[in-house]
Amino acid sequence: MTLKLDRPEATLLDSITMVVSVSGTRKSDTQPTLKGLEAFNVRTGGTSSRIEIINGKVNAGVDYTYALQPKKTGTFTIGPAEVKVKGKTIKSNAETLTIVKSIQSPDVDRGPLFLSAALSPKQIFVEEQAIYTLKLFRQTRVGDISLGLPEAEHLTFKQLGKPVEYQSVYKGQSYQVLEVRYALISSREGIYGIRPSRMSMTVFQSRRKSSRSLFDDPFFSFSSGRPVTIASEPLELNVLPLPQKGRPTGFSGLVGNYKIKSHLEPSKIRAGESATMTVLLSGRGYVKRIPDLKLPELEKIKVYADQPVLKEEIDSKGLAGSKTMKWALVPEKEGEYQIPSLSISFFDTTGKQYRVIKSPVLSLSVLPVEKAQVSVSQDVIKGHKTDGPGKHEVKELGHDILPVHTSIKDLHSGTRSGIGGLVLWLNLIIPFFAYAATFLIQKFHRKTTVSVAAARARKAAKALTQQCRKGELSSNDLTSSIRRYLNERFDLSLGSLTPDEAADIVVSRGVSATTAERLRTALQELEDAIYTGKGQETCDMGGDIPKLIKQIEKEIR
Amino acid sequence: MRRYICLTITIIAIILFSGLDAEAQTNGWEDLFFRANQSFKEGHYQDAIDGYEQLAQTGHENGHIYYNLGNGYFRLNQLGQAILNYERARILIPRDADLNFNLRHARDQIQDAIAEPQGFIQMAFFWLDSLSLQEVFWGFGILNVLFWGILLIRLFHRSEWNYYLSLVFLVLWLIGGTSFGLKWYQVWTDGRAVILKKEVNILSGPDIQDTVLFKLHEGTIVHHERSEDGWFLIRLPDKKRGWVEAEAVEQIKRDLTVLPGGRHN
Repeated sequence: MTLKLDRPEATLLDSITMVVSVSGTRKSDTQPTLKGLEAFNVRTGGTSSRIEIINGKVNAGVDYTYALQPKKTGTFTIGPAEVKVKGKTIKSNAETLTIVKSIQSPDVDRGPLFLSAALSPKQIFVEEQAIYTLKLFRQTRVGDISLGLPEAEHLTFKQLGKPVEYQSVYKGQSYQVLEVRYALISSREGIYGIRPSRMSMTVFQSRRKSSRSLFDDPFFSFSSGRPVTIASEPLELNVLPLPQKGRPTGFSGLVGNYKIKSHLEPSKIRAGESATMTVLLSGRGYVKRIPDLKLPELEKIKVYADQPVLKEEIDSKGLAGSKTMKWALVPEKEGEYQIPSLSISFFDTTGKQYRVIKSPVLSLSVLPVEKAQVSVSQDVIKGHKTDGPGKHEVKELGHDILPVHTSIKDLHSGTRSGIGGLVLWLNLIIPFFAYAATFLIQKFHRKTTVSVAAARARKAAKALTQQCRKGELSSNDLTSSIRRYLNERFDLSLGSLTPDEAADIVVSRGVSATTAERLRTALQELEDAIYTGKGQETCDMGGDIPKLIKQIEKEIR
Repeated sequence: MRRYICLTITIIAIILFSGLDAEAQTNGWEDLFFRANQSFKEGHYQDAIDGYEQLAQTGHENGHIYYNLGNGYFRLNQLGQAILNYERARILIPRDADLNFNLRHARDQIQDAIAEPQGFIQMAFFWLDSLSLQEVFWGFGILNVLFWGILLIRLFHRSEWNYYLSLVFLVLWLIGGTSFGLKWYQVWTDGRAVILKKEVNILSGPDIQDTVLFKLHEGTIVHHERSEDGWFLIRLPDKKRGWVEAEAVEQIKRDLTVLPGGRHN
């Protein structure tokens, strides 16, 4: 049976929701009787029963809801609640509720929508937490709320629980209040100006029809929204440095209120076996600052430290949590051992002084090893001693499997098909086809070049023969035509050509020396005619040249 | 024009919604994975196994899922199922250190001492055992690109360096191709099966009345030759053969052996 309040602090004009939950039954014999409610007007908010099925187990329960309206300021202990179930009386826990005066100033009317900020306490020590409370008072319907918190160097905001909604009264008017609480921690001393928080939202203005009708219902109402941003008031936080007086040596900077617990499990073992020492440091404050405690070297006991486990808890009162540290202790010899206490210092924000807390001294009884184990141990020492003084092979103390793979990235690797499919097959095929296609294109290109040259060569002989048959060619024309023929026929680019060069060219292409000589002679005659000023006159060699070309072509083939 | 606009909007909407659907499905099986992990952590091993099996059966077969399944069965003291799933995981993530440790630990607990002989191919292509089919295929794919790439370069630019390089790539390409072929064959013809019952009789024929030839124990790996009327003909590496009831044994090859082309064995 539990008793829960929706928040630990409220003003005189607020309403507080209290829920008493009874688990394990769907109805109780009696209504809960509640203690500590003398300073409140109590209104019942109904009863609800619930059934949960978790891992096949059915859990039933009943919740009693109450609305509390405070009558006076002060700090009150509410509860425990008592209820009878099947003739048996069961009790709940008790909760503390602080009622403070209303924050409203009597002179200012803040309209139907405003944001209010408060800080408690306004003076803290470094690393101590203050509670920064934001309240949105509204009389209109709003939506899409977003909050911009002020930013300041060395100040950290941590939200405490979920936002709470309740009814309150401000200047005689009823408001719906949305409250969000933050723990405010400062890492350095100083006076911090906390700038206003800003809340943006859409405010809906109802435009209902004037006459009541079937559709005169919020669901059917027609509303239009307009964006609105409102700001809270600025605040000031005074952060004091931790006092120097009484500061213990090796103080870790831990601030808050903590307690320490420790135990040894089992406390009786045989030599060579292991016992686990657990130290739990828990409390309220910035628990991340809890340092890892170190167990001193113990004579004849090997100590293996486990990874500490930090557990952070955030409730409406602020930050809290715990750190669990474990050590495996393996005694080498039998006997009675005392495990010394571990201590830690912190600055207690309640008493405003440094405190040192210590775990109790623990006793460990160690029995002698069993004979069989002694022989194994001796074997290890004798047979498996490795090089170097005092070194031994690692002795396995247990056998077990390694844990499951829990990382989400494991789901994306080691799959059966991977990328696979067409991409991989194309990867195999495409390079081959790319090579084959390039090879074939290159080959075709070469072949084409050769055939174009041959065609051009054939064309060159034909063109020269046709030109000669036209007759009335001058020595200049005939020389140019023969040079063009040789250029095109043998794929040359000669600007001028001596008779000897022409003869050499045709010989190098397989023409007989006789034919080459005939060509040389013909060209020499033409050259003579040109150099003796008869270059423009009609030459009578027009009939011999085609025969000579025909012979050259024949011999080339 | 309006028709085209409508068509475009429809196509975009289909693509977007199909993407959302895929994401939603992804989140679904991620949730299932987390729930199974949580069940395992809390010691509800059967719930964890059910979750992992559901993932495996809904197409999310994954080496890590089989590894976790193996761990779940190991915790339930079902050594046969544990080894079966570890071996399935090993096909997909053969070099995972956790897996190899746990598989070795599980094998240590098998009662039957059966040594797997090493053939010439296993010795010559020793790397095949520590690579998955996908990895071999990818490796061969890369060598294939390099080999044909260097030949392509030689079509345009012939030099001494690319001649020797092409020879090196030719050798690697042949080794890669042979490795891929062998791995494919190995996976394709994987007939290994695991004994799931604490102790089973291996008979001379597919009938309960047949002579008991020998006994095998949970976790032992045998080779499945053929099936007949609810019976498996199995073989041991030392050539012992016999028939066992199909329900006492399960083949390692599920349809893990999807080939890179997406085809199933």
